[in-house]
Amino acid sequence: MTHSPNASPVTPSPNHPITLRVELFGVPRLLAGERTLLASGETLGELAADLAKRHPILAGRVLDPESGWPLDGYSFVVAERFTRDPSHPLREGTTVLLVASAAGG
Amino acid sequence: MTSRIGGVHARLLRVDLGDAPDAGWVEPLPDDLFRHAIGGIGLASRLLLDLCPPGADPLGPHNPLIFAASPFAGTGITTSSKIAVAARSPQTGLIGDSLSSSYLALELKRTGHDALAVTGIAPAWSVLVIEDGATSLRPADALLGFSPRETADRLRAELGTGYRVAAIGPAGERGVRYAAIANDGRLAGRTGAGAVMGAKRLKAIAVRGSRLPPAADPRGVAALARDLAARSLGPATAKYRDIGTVANVAFFNRLGLLPTRNFGAGSFAAAEALSGETLRLEHHAGQHACAACTVGCEHHYGARDGGPPLTTRLEYETLFALGSLCGVGDPNVVLRASALCDDLGMDAISAGGTIAWAMECRERGVDLGVPEEEIPRWGDGPALLRSLHQIGFREGLGDLLAEGSRAASARVGQGSEAWAMHVKGLELPGYDPRKLKTLALGLAVAARGACHNRSSAYDVDLSDRLDPAADARARAAAAAAAEDQAALLDSLTLCKFLRHAIADVHDEGAALHRAVTGLPTTPADLAAAAAHITETKKRVNLAHGWTRALDTLPPRLLEPNGHDSALTPAWLDRQIAAYYAVRGWDPDGRPDAKSPSPFAKGEGLG
Repeated sequence: MTHSPNASPVTPSPNHPITLRVELFGVPRLLAGERTLLASGETLGELAADLAKRHPILAGRVLDPESGWPLDGYSFVVAERFTRDPSHPLREGTTVLLVASAAGG
Repeated sequence: MTSRIGGVHARLLRVDLGDAPDAGWVEPLPDDLFRHAIGGIGLASRLLLDLCPPGADPLGPHNPLIFAASPFAGTGITTSSKIAVAARSPQTGLIGDSLSSSYLALELKRTGHDALAVTGIAPAWSVLVIEDGATSLRPADALLGFSPRETADRLRAELGTGYRVAAIGPAGERGVRYAAIANDGRLAGRTGAGAVMGAKRLKAIAVRGSRLPPAADPRGVAALARDLAARSLGPATAKYRDIGTVANVAFFNRLGLLPTRNFGAGSFAAAEALSGETLRLEHHAGQHACAACTVGCEHHYGARDGGPPLTTRLEYETLFALGSLCGVGDPNVVLRASALCDDLGMDAISAGGTIAWAMECRERGVDLGVPEEEIPRWGDGPALLRSLHQIGFREGLGDLLAEGSRAASARVGQGSEAWAMHVKGLELPGYDPRKLKTLALGLAVAARGACHNRSSAYDVDLSDRLDPAADARARAAAAAAAEDQAALLDSLTLCKFLRHAIADVHDEGAALHRAVTGLPTTPADLAAAAAHITETKKRVNLAHGWTRALDTLPPRLLEPNGHDSALTPAWLDRQIAAYYAVRGWDPDGRPDAKSPSPFAKGEGLG
């Protein structure tokens, strides 16, 4: 498992008991300098907020600095489904991808 | 003559190379044309419908080679300097259209014309020179064999500064069915316009002019353009600015969408080496922007293999077609192959797709009429480069591969049609339709064949906008909407990479269109125009023998693969029937002959 240089210790908080692996692609990967990061949350919204908190290098460029939610142009993929629904529930072991929304080539 | 519509001259320049080629003539373009066909691809498609006789030989004198700009070109609206190229395709036999970002669009408009249509065949290899209203032909013998870039450099040195050049390379000279026309390092790449130009013995077109048509509301245009330019620098386009389209590789590979070994698989073991992230860190050599563009998505990379120094642009489609599709995992080979396609002047997607077909032929022991060792094998980089060169010069096996996978497989037989991965003769782009079902439908019905730029329905699949279990009607509506949006952007000549920076393409497009043209354009007008443009393309195809059977996918994509979600012929038939219904076409996919397009055929054109 890898961490960005600015990462906080991976200690699940009482409110965020589920820690998940977030795979990064494109700009998020280049910014973080890592292919995967850890973050916690029972919903996608909680996960995004925790991701932004632990990895501030993503805030402003990829994630909203306030809410942590992906800026326009970025999306999560959960179980091979694109979603921008912050209430999307997460389970232990779920893999989450953080990608650019635009797939034009 | 001054047009009543802002942003256009309302003039079509026509040149017949076989009949007094020094005497180009002008035909007026009616106002309605710019309402219903808008410009760019819409204008070029409409002109093709009017000017190309049904069944005209794609490589014969009567097939017009059309270049069309849009009202937006020259206004300062970001990304709008694009030139549309259209002709009957020698690769598909149907509509051939391409869109290339280029200063050529600006310069053509500066000559006092919105479009150029070239017919006839020159008596000898020639360069067509257009300077404002004057046309002339110059001998091109000394330019033969040169790449498009070298041709343009030599021509500019000969003619003087200020000329913009569209040129073909060796592939166009030799009638490679997927030869391209290059300008400013960009290509009108797909469907073989370069072969049409070569058949006319036209090596290049050099253009220089002095007057752009004014916009109806220059201040309004400037304000809207500034706003759009600011958004073009936001997070919605960061992928393109910071990495480029090659960013698709790792992500597509992760989701099993990266076509590998001729669509035999959806992931590639060497994908990480080809990924945009790796290229950015290990090969990046610079970044460029197209004419009048603020995004700057064009990234250049350097080969790092100890061979001759090479720096070249690279896009995802080229990377997949010359990389994973052929089983090639060395980025240095792919960079050299991409540069070779540009130098030869040919479409890298069709080149890679046809070579991948040949590689599978070798694997399966199919006789291609040459010694087996001359047929490239999966992953063989030197053989890939050799095959590309052979195609460009139609040498050895290259003469067969220059025909494209459909024609080559038809000639060779032995069951090889089953792995010729094309729709209507156009090789598939780099998205595996088996996991992108809206795109699967879009590729099957698209007028120019398997093209992600004309369908764009992958946008629906790679979002949460449509339930994967959606019924046929909902999927068909989504595919049609994506197709129409692409037609609209291609006709306004706004880059598709802006689409995520624009909240509503119809709203913003209408505001821009009103400011540029002075017409009272509404969002609904643009929606109607987009549907009209899609129908115009279908009417072009009908004129050249389209039948319902051509709206399909390669057999490989419809084979059982052990998953419940596999595409099947019956599933595809249901989607296509629903698509025709959404379009208001009859069950055979034909627009109603009783409700002709709003722009009457032939109106205002000679």
